[in-house]
Amino acid sequence: MKLNRVFPFVMLVILLAGILTGCGSATTPEVQSPAGATSAPAEPTVAPTGGTLVIAMNLDDVVTLDPAYAGETTNLFIHINTYDTLVDIRPEDLNTIVPRLAESWDVNADFTQFIFHLRKDAKFASGNPVTAADVVFSWNRLLNVAGAPAFNLDGVGKVEAVDDYTVKVSTTVGTDGKAQPLPQFLSSASNPSLGIQDSKLVKEHGGTDAADAKTADKAKEWMDQNSAGSGPFILTKWSPKSEIDLVANKNYWKGAPKFDKVVITHVSDPTTQLQMLQKGDADMIGNLATDLVDQAKADPNLTISVDQSLDENYLAMAYQCPDAIKAKNPDVFKTLQSPDSFAIICKKEVRQAVAYAIDYEGIAKAVLNGYAARAPSIIPIGIIGVDPSKTQGRDLAKAKSLLAAAGYPNGVTLDLYYASNATRDTVAAKLKNDLAEAGITLNLKPLEQSVYLTQMRAQQLPMAFGGWTPDYLDVTMWTDYFGLGDRSIAFRMWFQNADANKLATQIRTTSDPAIRKTAVEQLQAIFIEEMPFTMLYQSQYVHAFSKDLKGFKFHPVWFVDLSGLSK
Amino acid sequence: MSLIQHLTRRLLLMIPMVIGITLLLFVVTHIVPANPLAVILTERSMDDPEAVKAATEKWGLDKPLPEQYLIYLENLLKGDLGTSFKTKNPVASDLKNFLPATLELSIGSFIFAILLGLPLGIISATKTGSFVDHFTRVISLLGASMPPFWSGLLILFVFYYKLGWAPGPGRINSRIGAPHSVTGLFVFDSLLTGNMPALWSSLSHLILPSIILGWFTLALIARITRSSMLEVLSQDYIRTARAKGLAEKWVIMSHALRNALIPLVTLVGLAFAGLMSGAIMTETIFSWPGIGRYAVEAAANLDYPAITGTTLLIAIVYMLVNIFVDALYTIIDPRIRAG
Repeated sequence: MKLNRVFPFVMLVILLAGILTGCGSATTPEVQSPAGATSAPAEPTVAPTGGTLVIAMNLDDVVTLDPAYAGETTNLFIHINTYDTLVDIRPEDLNTIVPRLAESWDVNADFTQFIFHLRKDAKFASGNPVTAADVVFSWNRLLNVAGAPAFNLDGVGKVEAVDDYTVKVSTTVGTDGKAQPLPQFLSSASNPSLGIQDSKLVKEHGGTDAADAKTADKAKEWMDQNSAGSGPFILTKWSPKSEIDLVANKNYWKGAPKFDKVVITHVSDPTTQLQMLQKGDADMIGNLATDLVDQAKADPNLTISVDQSLDENYLAMAYQCPDAIKAKNPDVFKTLQSPDSFAIICKKEVRQAVAYAIDYEGIAKAVLNGYAARAPSIIPIGIIGVDPSKTQGRDLAKAKSLLAAAGYPNGVTLDLYYASNATRDTVAAKLKNDLAEAGITLNLKPLEQSVYLTQMRAQQLPMAFGGWTPDYLDVTMWTDYFGLGDRSIAFRMWFQNADANKLATQIRTTSDPAIRKTAVEQLQAIFIEEMPFTMLYQSQYVHAFSKDLKGFKFHPVWFVDLSGLSK
Repeated sequence: MSLIQHLTRRLLLMIPMVIGITLLLFVVTHIVPANPLAVILTERSMDDPEAVKAATEKWGLDKPLPEQYLIYLENLLKGDLGTSFKTKNPVASDLKNFLPATLELSIGSFIFAILLGLPLGIISATKTGSFVDHFTRVISLLGASMPPFWSGLLILFVFYYKLGWAPGPGRINSRIGAPHSVTGLFVFDSLLTGNMPALWSSLSHLILPSIILGWFTLALIARITRSSMLEVLSQDYIRTARAKGLAEKWVIMSHALRNALIPLVTLVGLAFAGLMSGAIMTETIFSWPGIGRYAVEAAANLDYPAITGTTLLIAIVYMLVNIFVDALYTIIDPRIRAG
């Protein structure tokens, strides 16, 4: 009765919304409404100082900015810009280690001793000189606080100052009484978490590097809000889930950065990030969502940069059968999820069949609009010894014949576990479809992140779908954790393979590029043959920033060096 | 019973309720078949049995559940809400960080909802079938049916991106920066410190999120005011008031509204508490650093102390608002106190 009277109003509102949004489709150039022409509370126009760089990105993962505690991703970006490391790996060449605070270094033949010679002109933002004592303090604090980033110093036994500008690092002594080789240490030393802290300043605020630092160190609260480094910028404020403020270190030993101030503001929605960039409220944004790339490309005021990351997503498949697991560890055997799937997937041919049945290109298109690459094994493109030409794509006929050869001509049913989120749900649904075409029925078992991690770490999952992001740029970041049967993913998926173990150990105990290259090639071949993991995709990141911003160079570990940016 | 006695009794009753809530939360969070160590430790240190043992001891996860609960209660009595697994900060200081933003947004939306909802409801009731009545119905319908994650994006797109009338997400323009912190409420702080650009910027940043968050409450207030007013307007004493020749303005504002307010006060009180706990979506879309996001992350990470802390805070706000509303009744309607 009253509906016919209300109806026109509903239509009016919908129509209005339609007009406002509909005409928004890129064609009409935006007419700037003159300031003051409306009584609506528009933002007061701020005079462009040219000195402030505003970055809109997702800061959800930042929980602390103390380098001794922070173990997430975004903190690396803040730390590389506020602290100096001894050595550096620059975006231009990811396979070469170059000097930063250390002018030069000596490594002994078996990688058990590293001697760093510091440059003598480097000063902290506070004015204090950077000395060997600061290096010893910073790394001992990291080790003794034992926070998330302490793993960067795994294998380091002792850090000592030989003189004011020389630091000696010795590795831990193993059970055999010999010092353990640590060939990846130089790469780890380039990780922003190992940046050098101003020991005087940190101590003034309650910091300590003593053995009881875990409880005695009281500097975190101050270090969350301030930096104590010698880097190009100084941290002046952090409001959780809101903003990080940096100001230029005018006395930076490499020369003052171009921007006086950098404001990194938290915006989680990718569409809004791009809108802020287009409106000029931000000069640069974090990763651009791939479905927005076309909109960003259409804007003549923006520069787009497509960069290869080392972040990958993988499908891992249990390598050992329930009987072998029972013999090795009866306790874990009792807790296995989907033992039936274990009994099937532990057969090599089934794992190969799964790998051949997946439509990798389709996945890359579905979740990243094609902004992805794929390496032949779990070791990503860009790493020494990886040959992209060996990458195998989809081959349904081969998948079916492998399945038949394994004794399953009528197909199999498998359970896939993963930590559910929007992207993974899409990929999992696609995997289910793809495998169905080869006669494999995939039951999807989405879990809460914490439940998934718990079960995977307890070696309970037959098939797991997850991601891997490097902390430092050494090949051991992949060969250790996927190749050594007692570590991380290899351990969790029961991948204990003598040949792979031998090769991964060889890679960890040499820094000779030629030997490493050959070993990685051989390990890659084993990964392809045994197929404990198949790489689903290696993401490419699309970055967008305003046209007048110069000097952007993407780094796969720490995003971007802000001191290289200018307007 | 005097008002003071009544309030004291209500406040004391909060104590067993708080204990009950902690017990319930403790049981529920510990039923989940996951290990919080997955959050406390990093991917790699999970492989290190020593690190696992040390963390288990440090966070008291090796003790039996009843003991863990008693320790929690004991600390709670001392005002210690525990330390968040994820941020490694005291939960109390995390909440102190995030609460002002949520409070500011809740107040903004509340003001928006009352200032618009009440008059719209009154006019709709006094002029049924008029344009305002229909307009209110449509607005209410939209407010009740549009989810904030959609309407929020839409309103940002139109009024920020397309028209440029309102500022973008966040609490304040990044190039202006937050005012010197006194209370943590930006509008209030910039007033106190006389920082005019910050005042203007933080006020204008409040508008869009307040509309989105307050829309549903506005719809509620407008509808309840309308029906409540209609009921009161048909009462005998209204007819009497009109019959003795009072101006219509007086009849409505003084005779009708005051009596129509009672159901509204209950509703508004609960709605305010609801705004605080219901801001998660709005906070996400408008990059608003409030407790909503904190709570969601705590739940996703099985961060026991943070989950309990946030829930307790919101529960206490609900209880306090309820008590406040009860006290308000007695002021609006003296008969309640007498009875």
